[in-house]
Amino acid sequence: MPILFGYFAHLQMSTVAISHLSKSFSSGLFRKSNIQALSDVSITVSKGEIFGLLGPNGAGKTTLVKILLSVVHPTSGTATILGQPMGSTGIRERIGYLPENHRYPSFLTAHQTLLHFGRLQGLSKHFLSSKASELLRVVGLEEWSRVKIKKFSKGMLQRLGLAQALLNDPEVLFLDEPTDGVDPVGRKEIRDILKGLRSAGKTVFLNSHLLSEVEEISDRVAILNKGEVLSVGTIRDITSHALEYEIRLGIAPSEPVLQKIGALSRSLETNQLTLTLALHAKEDLNKILQILLQEGMSIESVMPRKSRLEDFFINLIRTRENP
Amino acid sequence: MKALSLSLLTIREAILKGTLLFYFIVGNLIILFFAAAVSGSMESGTLTITMFGSQLTPRGLEGFNPVEFLLRQLFQSASSAIMLFGIFATAGLIPSMLEKGTVELYLSKPLSRSSLLLARSFGACGGIGANILYFAVGIWAVFGIKTGIWHGNFLLASVVAIFIFLCYYSVVALTAVITRSTAFSIMIAFVFTLFSSALEVRQTTLYVWWENAFFHRFLDSLYYATPRISRMIDQAANLVGKDITTRVLAEQASAGFDILPFVYSFLSASLLYALAIVYFFRQDY
Ligand SMILES: Nc1ncnc2c1ncn2[C@@H]1O[C@H](COP(=O)(O)OP(=O)(O)OP(=O)(O)O)[C@@H](O)[C@H]1O
Ligand SMILES: [Mg+2]
Repeated sequence: MPILFGYFAHLQMSTVAISHLSKSFSSGLFRKSNIQALSDVSITVSKGEIFGLLGPNGAGKTTLVKILLSVVHPTSGTATILGQPMGSTGIRERIGYLPENHRYPSFLTAHQTLLHFGRLQGLSKHFLSSKASELLRVVGLEEWSRVKIKKFSKGMLQRLGLAQALLNDPEVLFLDEPTDGVDPVGRKEIRDILKGLRSAGKTVFLNSHLLSEVEEISDRVAILNKGEVLSVGTIRDITSHALEYEIRLGIAPSEPVLQKIGALSRSLETNQLTLTLALHAKEDLNKILQILLQEGMSIESVMPRKSRLEDFFINLIRTRENP
Repeated sequence: MKALSLSLLTIREAILKGTLLFYFIVGNLIILFFAAAVSGSMESGTLTITMFGSQLTPRGLEGFNPVEFLLRQLFQSASSAIMLFGIFATAGLIPSMLEKGTVELYLSKPLSRSSLLLARSFGACGGIGANILYFAVGIWAVFGIKTGIWHGNFLLASVVAIFIFLCYYSVVALTAVITRSTAFSIMIAFVFTLFSSALEVRQTTLYVWWENAFFHRFLDSLYYATPRISRMIDQAANLVGKDITTRVLAEQASAGFDILPFVYSFLSASLLYALAIVYFFRQDY
């Protein structure tokens, strides 16, 4: 029993719990070919966090979100959202979704669009008319609210899509490339909106291939490649595996010293008094420091070098591609 | 509630797209035409109707009712036209919901796929239905005012016409869900119309193509599995007035109202809608 309780407590904690989801698309009418879009994906997202799902084109990010929103049926596996099985109609009242490349009926105005989709969400007309104006202000489309959508630019559509996703004050928000086509100022605004949502206790599930952006706002990320989760964790967790350090010395090291250190590290760069090195194992750092002290070098500082998510990402995908 | 608002929004989409509005205008013009053309007068207990001044002759038939006759003619031609033009106006409504980028939005709303599809279909039929009713009431009123005969059955037949359209639309709904294409849906609906009239008289036409019992049963099953549009229109027209031509040909053939085509069509349309829903449920978007 306690184990069961623990299990349910865990489910309660995680707002989105994805367990062993797989999806293969079969295409071709006569010669069937299977595309494995997702294989055995398990991810949990806790309440109040911004979770970034990263991956190159075709990794399966969109497919994963579509499965959670029951737009696509999984081949196997399950997921729960807010403790309820995905695909239940009730759960969709508490979710917001900004699909990739969304298209709205072009003959509607921005305001009408929000009313239209808000009604489908089950919201009252009265509530919607004020909510729509408020959200259009939030996403910076106030002046465009009575303009037909067909006159909108890509970034404006994206902003409208975000407003649409926020109509029902969702507890969980799924955003598929929310800043696609949005200008830098708009991106900053969207990031601020997302941070605001996080402080209000909402959970955000963000798909993106814009690493710097995800790095800035996500609490945790998962890296997906060819349908497989390669890595999950906080940005710091993920990137600290790189074992890169920067050592500043009081005096320039001699060539033999550098050779000794070089033998212990994966890579070594020197820039006058600064050594930048990547190690094979954490223990090697102590060995290197010992060598430096024995050689009478004075150590001014040792700092783990936080490799940027991008470096990590590219390395990870590359090593997967040609191991 | 959500499904109802989707239906209403669908009607609005059809109006905003322009075609329904166009039909509304055409409908008004036809009503105006009859208002200008028709006038009636009572002379020694018999009603005579004139269209632009020329009198409708009773062709020597006993009990000839010119209003019934005119309205039946009008009903028969208008309802066939409305079926075809109605498909033009509404065939795009399901494919537009299924467009990439839009379908995700609809599917992620708290509505089941069956309500989405049915709400969309009923919305489409509702738009056409509103047009039909408006037109019918207009014509009915024109004749009522001009001739003093308020022919209630004409209104009844118009309501029946809405039902017929709903059955017809099941063909569009199924094609649209499978092909996601407006053009295909219209094409299949028209091919279906041709084919269904051929099936109607299969004993004398299609049967002779291949004298094979299996083939004949296959044609029979197709006939029973699909809605019978023209049969139903004929029956609804019988509600409006007697079929003069049949009466001339065979004096006995009193044109009654036969409910069976409606029952069969209702069942087969339900089957087509159900197939569309099943297909929709299974799809990934
Ligand atoms: N409806 C579908 N039918 C067949 N294959 C599909 C379908 N949808 C996606 N796929 C395939 O699944 C894989 C994953 O696609 P997905 O759209 O999830 O990638 P993504 O990570 O979102 O890429 P991007 O960054 O370009 O948006 C791709 O190989 C794609 O071709
Ligand atoms: Mg994608």
